[in-house]
Amino acid sequence: MRDSDALDNNPHVSRSALEAIHSQVYGWALSRCDFEHANAEDLMQQAYVELLSGNARFDNKSSLKTFVFSVVQNLARSRFRRLSTRLRLVKKYHAEAVETSVEAPEPRANGDVWRAVRALPARQRDVIELVFCRELTVEEAAAVMGVSTGTGRVHYDRAKKALRQRLQHWADEE
Amino acid sequence: MMQDKDNKLRDRVSQAWPAAGGNEPAFDAMWLAARQRHEISRRRYRRVAAAAAVVAAGFIFLYAQSPSQETYIEVADLMESTYWTAPSDVLLPQREFDIYQDMPAIFESTIPAGGTLL
Repeated sequence: MRDSDALDNNPHVSRSALEAIHSQVYGWALSRCDFEHANAEDLMQQAYVELLSGNARFDNKSSLKTFVFSVVQNLARSRFRRLSTRLRLVKKYHAEAVETSVEAPEPRANGDVWRAVRALPARQRDVIELVFCRELTVEEAAAVMGVSTGTGRVHYDRAKKALRQRLQHWADEE
Repeated sequence: MMQDKDNKLRDRVSQAWPAAGGNEPAFDAMWLAARQRHEISRRRYRRVAAAAAVVAAGFIFLYAQSPSQETYIEVADLMESTYWTAPSDVLLPQREFDIYQDMPAIFESTIPAGGTLL
């Protein structure tokens, strides 16, 4: 880490270190926002603002990547809570006014695998994304998700098992 | 064996996972936007803090300027009063009585109480 570009309110975080993990964090933010780019960008900006202001203070207890992923996760959660409250209110007064369905993104390849991943419960999907696609360890993934390592391992094992079963089942059907 | 199966699954999932696909914003642009947002919120905080400080200072200034209300005992009021309270009666206010109004009635009473006149 270069000391020269360390943040004023977050001395253990540098601009260059954030730049190095930018695309990984963006991928994580994207999946937090149901793959809507505008929301993901906004979420990322907000995460950077939290780091700049020192509201989210990194103290070297984990890796920077794990920490920034956690910040994004927490912001997404609080945003989701706000949105769901608004949605409930809107639904209450305008039952037909809201379109809630979000288009599933196009997978890069192998639609079956993506379909199997989408069918997983949220936590299992998260741990699979963090470990398989964002290159975190299960321990780090558990920290990002705000669960104990043991719980993280359980989600990870169940997710792998469910994925294998589904893929096997679909392969047998074909 | 297990590790191999995991690696295969990992490869398949990471290949299937949707990528940002060229829509990924550049770090510099995002960092700049975040800095601007941070600056705006800092400025807004400073403005609100300054306004609050001005209001507080104005309140203190006005409060310091206003003459304090003096409380005093009007001697004339005291002299005109026939109302008397025994020092010990402060704790027993129900025993307060007007010496000029009540005492004659007591002295002139003809109601017997326990063998004597009340």
